[in-house]
Amino acid sequence: MAEVFVLVEHRRGELRDITFEMLSGCRDLAKNLNASITAVLLGKNIDNFVEQLKSWADKILVVEDDKLENFNAEAYQRVLSHLIKERKPILTLIGHTSFGMDLAPALAAELGIPLATDCIGFELQDGRLVAIRQMYGGKVNARISFKTAPYMATIRSAAFKAEEPGLSAEVEKAPSPLTEEITTKRFLEYVEAAVGEVDITQAERIVAVGRGVGDYSDEKVRSIIEELANELGAVIACSRPIVDKGWLPKDRQVGTSGKTVKPKLYLALGISGAFQHVAGMSASETIVAVNKDPKAPIFTVADYGIVDDLFKVVPVLTEKVREAKGGS
Amino acid sequence: METIDGESFGEKYDLFVCLQCGKCTGSCPLSMRSQLSPRKHVREALLFDNEVVLDKEFLWDCTTCATCRLRCPRDLQPVEVIIGMRSILIEEAKVPATVQEALESTFKNGNPWGRAPSKRDEWAAELSLKSASEGAEYLYYVGCTPAYDPRVQNVAKSLVRVFKAAGVDFAILGNEEKCCGNEIRRMGEVGLFEMLMEDNVEIFENYGVERIVTSSPHCYNVFKNEYEGLKAEVFHYTQLLCEKLDNGLLKLTKELKKKVIYQDPCFLGKQNKIFEEPRKLISSIPGVELLEYDREKERSVCCEGGGGRMWAEATATGERTAETRVKEAVALGAEIIAVACPFCMLTFEDAVKMTGYEGKIEVKDISELLVEAIE
Repeated sequence: MAEVFVLVEHRRGELRDITFEMLSGCRDLAKNLNASITAVLLGKNIDNFVEQLKSWADKILVVEDDKLENFNAEAYQRVLSHLIKERKPILTLIGHTSFGMDLAPALAAELGIPLATDCIGFELQDGRLVAIRQMYGGKVNARISFKTAPYMATIRSAAFKAEEPGLSAEVEKAPSPLTEEITTKRFLEYVEAAVGEVDITQAERIVAVGRGVGDYSDEKVRSIIEELANELGAVIACSRPIVDKGWLPKDRQVGTSGKTVKPKLYLALGISGAFQHVAGMSASETIVAVNKDPKAPIFTVADYGIVDDLFKVVPVLTEKVREAKGGS
Repeated sequence: METIDGESFGEKYDLFVCLQCGKCTGSCPLSMRSQLSPRKHVREALLFDNEVVLDKEFLWDCTTCATCRLRCPRDLQPVEVIIGMRSILIEEAKVPATVQEALESTFKNGNPWGRAPSKRDEWAAELSLKSASEGAEYLYYVGCTPAYDPRVQNVAKSLVRVFKAAGVDFAILGNEEKCCGNEIRRMGEVGLFEMLMEDNVEIFENYGVERIVTSSPHCYNVFKNEYEGLKAEVFHYTQLLCEKLDNGLLKLTKELKKKVIYQDPCFLGKQNKIFEEPRKLISSIPGVELLEYDREKERSVCCEGGGGRMWAEATATGERTAETRVKEAVALGAEIIAVACPFCMLTFEDAVKMTGYEGKIEVKDISELLVEAIE
């Protein structure tokens, strides 16, 4: 029976979500390819991962080696190319993460296997694999067909839902093919992103504040806004005056002299909507604006507008979001 | 240190005669709030190698107001040294992302605001203006900001009304109009600037343009002083309208009982010595009392909107100059700050919000004041 390889991604003692998303997301495809799913687990002291993965795959293929303790693309590449040559899986899936982006292209090139990156879905057409990936900043979906099997693909995070299938995997331990030292790349350390650093360009939901919030250094004001942001799972961004006042760091500024964002939801609170701000957020999917002034230009780009004092509106919004989420 | 065209900075800008008197840094509106120091950069350009430029993010603080050039007793051009250093940063791709986006958009769309060229003439949709192909005495060169920014579009619309009232025969280029490149050159993108210049000169030639009138002092400056091969005469709108006022063609009849203070745009005042025309227009409006800043005309203070600063925050901290100016205007009892430049309009409107004087003082372009006086 053919096999689909799914590379297990883990970091600092924890399995990454992408692993479960891939294992669950490729089930239908594997069935149509008439293949079983093998979770390929590389690492050191990884028995607890084996336990966690048992219900997610048909088989777990484990390679343990001291050299695999931390992710190293070179070590991973050597082990995987050995396993793929030996077992010839029809498809190998790797997360489109910083690990996967480091590993997959070199591995595909070494093995001469076609690679589609950052995929969000798959189809079979006349028995051939077709991958779906996005182009032009997510505006179009492109279908990419592979010439010949075997295939390799990297999968975008959160493209698939992780649903536990309740399997019971067979566990196979393979000897490590790593005989030589890894010399070109060395793992040094994990560097944590500084606390509080947020990349607003990656946010799905943004609560943006402008001069209309008044004094944003005021604890009360801040907590009202932050509460709403928390309920929405949104990050806080702002227009230039808020940065000028030193109330939020520069990396939170949206606009032509700040950042360009396009979240699914952009909630503009007390932002009048100067062109220089709007240019940085008008591509957002849904824009909701709250402003006292009905003539504020922000309403010309907003999908929904509320003309009122934001301090009256925001607590109600927070409450409604909480209700909608089914909380108390 | 070598400039991008191979000469050393010292040779290219004749820096060997610099006295290091420091008048340039002393007059720089940003040197108090940034590491920007024209005197130091001139010295470093003479003494050290290329590495002196690298990692100087504060070079993007310069507004290219050119006060340094005005004050230099040796007629040197510290502002050009800074622009030259930016060119090296551009070559090294050490550019703030926002500047890069503005430059890219100018290359692709013909404007730094990231807007489609096909929407450039939307502001004039209902005005039924002559297009350049029909020919006219003046080409009204609108400029990117008045064409696209909804606030500044009102300046373009007001100008059209005043032009019509004064009987000015004018046409526009519509969607064929492209960025003038004044800010592009000042952001150090020499290649892109030259491309824009060649394109624009060709467009003007094709339509046989003999006179150009601009909304913005920035466009005026680059056409007047920096375009090679441009045969047309260039006017800022305040010059043209002042002439119409003198000829009795522009009649200002309606009263506007306001105290108005005028902000000299650097590219009109300091750099092109046009001080009187804007003042004459304002003070000819019946009822207006024209106030003056203590620091006016050649001593005026930049609004911080020039030299690419609309697309770069750079490193300067503390109170923006436009805020200082708004506070000064309020203290002098002004009710309106009159501007004659799109960037002054935007920086001052922001500053009014920041200082909390909304409702107390307004920012208006001279063209907007004139509209009130003719209708």
